[in-house]
Amino acid sequence: MVSVKLDNVSLVYKLHEKLTLSAPDRRMNDTGGRIASSGRKQFVQALDGVSFELKAGDRLGLVGPNGAGKTTLLKVLYGIYEPSEGNITIDGKVDALFNINIGFRPEATGRRNIVLRGLISGWTEAEIEEKMEEIIAFSELGDFIDLPFKAYSQGMAARLAFAASTALEPEILLMDEWISAGDASFQEKAKRRMDELAEKAGIIVLASHDQSLIERVCTKTLTLRHGRVESIAMTPMEAA
Amino acid sequence: MISTLNGALDDIFGAMKLRRVWIALAHEDIGDQHRRTTLGPLWLLVNYLAFVGTFVFVFQPAGKDAAGYSAYVAIGLMVWFYLMEVITVSVSLFKREQSFIEGTTLPLFVYVMRLTVQSAIRAGYAIAGCIVILLISGPALTTAWLWSLAGLLLILLATPAIIAIFAFTGAFFPDSEFIVGNLMRVGMFFTPVFWVNNGQDPIQTYAYNWNPFTSFLEVVRHPILSDEFPGHDFALTGAFTVAAWVIALMLLGRYRRQVVFMI
Ligand SMILES: Nc1ncnc2c1ncn2[C@@H]1O[C@H](COP(=O)(O)OP(=O)(O)O)[C@@H](O)[C@H]1O
Ligand SMILES: [Mg+2]
Repeated sequence: MVSVKLDNVSLVYKLHEKLTLSAPDRRMNDTGGRIASSGRKQFVQALDGVSFELKAGDRLGLVGPNGAGKTTLLKVLYGIYEPSEGNITIDGKVDALFNINIGFRPEATGRRNIVLRGLISGWTEAEIEEKMEEIIAFSELGDFIDLPFKAYSQGMAARLAFAASTALEPEILLMDEWISAGDASFQEKAKRRMDELAEKAGIIVLASHDQSLIERVCTKTLTLRHGRVESIAMTPMEAA
Repeated sequence: MISTLNGALDDIFGAMKLRRVWIALAHEDIGDQHRRTTLGPLWLLVNYLAFVGTFVFVFQPAGKDAAGYSAYVAIGLMVWFYLMEVITVSVSLFKREQSFIEGTTLPLFVYVMRLTVQSAIRAGYAIAGCIVILLISGPALTTAWLWSLAGLLLILLATPAIIAIFAFTGAFFPDSEFIVGNLMRVGMFFTPVFWVNNGQDPIQTYAYNWNPFTSFLEVVRHPILSDEFPGHDFALTGAFTVAAWVIALMLLGRYRRQVVFMI
């Protein structure tokens, strides 16, 4: 059974001496996590005692001001960051995208990039072969698929990235704000695909500043502030 | 200790399952480095031949067997350039892979193997040039060449461990990038790459005997040039390789989850 459970998860970034110059200004610290320092090191508490549970079919929207910890939380869920404290239990195959361009090589064609992206996500060659045409169709890139990736606009890149990362139907899909890079018709399509995924009893976690996107896609909303869970609630349904 | 080792082996086995990833990426890397050039990766060969030619021309000891010296320099430079490139590029490995490390959960060893394959492919061009020089300049083709081949394979075996060690060093001590780069550039003069140790100059003899790179060079060079098996150099190189792997496994096991916070 697909599920996600976080128990009192905290994450602290340690800033090494050289990086401290770029730390946010403390006086107007309404955004961001808590900054602490000890000796020559500084720390940013990006997540502070976060607990929640998701079960099959849940679509969670992560909201909160810049620096609230949304991206950090997604990366902790994916396993990129090991939490400084607390426990995570995840059941299910996770796929995630934090940066549209990850794994995409500017000089390679879209087609070749689908292969590379697939390999990176651990697909077999047969799986890549099988999904190729579907990914191309979904991304609506047409003849551009055989041009180098560097000739794509951000929106086109987003289409390709989304098409590729959802093609194998991950059981748990994590997405950061980049999805809003696509145009309205793409977002509509993306929503439909996310509906399908969720209906197959998957879990989706989506961070976005776009309230209407969250309302359209998510069933629950989690508000983060300074790395703490401010509230978690059912998303008010869109009229209709 | 056990859990450190388990962590390291998990990472390595995970990377081995993803071998298609690093093989594909390494090929893309080579292609990208030479895209839009007419000669493509053949520039690596040209570069190598130009260096060997220059060194032979400038440093050829007067009155000595010229052909022997060409072979000496050809093999010396081939191995030295390989090691120098591997080490200097490794120090910034994790920094260069930052977007992958911060955006995917690929095992770190994937990046180590990506660089290993890339370095091996690049070395292939120098090896081809070296073989041509050897055939022209004349050391007889004997079965001892097989020992040189074994020497090359031993160096290849040590490569991932060396890369991992320097990659972790670079991630945790950013200054090491510059220190290592400088040391390697100076190190060439303290390594018997193009000078021959004749036992008369005490500094030279000292550098010959105490430089760990000497044995790495000699396992490849000695069999071809002297038609005998350099047991001592093989033992030393083997010991360095084992030690490097032990250190690499410890680093990987203990610090792999910290790297993402360090780069
Ligand atoms: N690599 C990092 N090093 C240090 N601090 C970081 C790093 N990434 C994020 N932070 C800090 O962690 C906090 C949460 O950031 P993030 O998760 O990116 O927020 P959001 O995605 O909600 O805008 C912020 O205060 C930010 O400054
Ligand atoms: Mg963010």
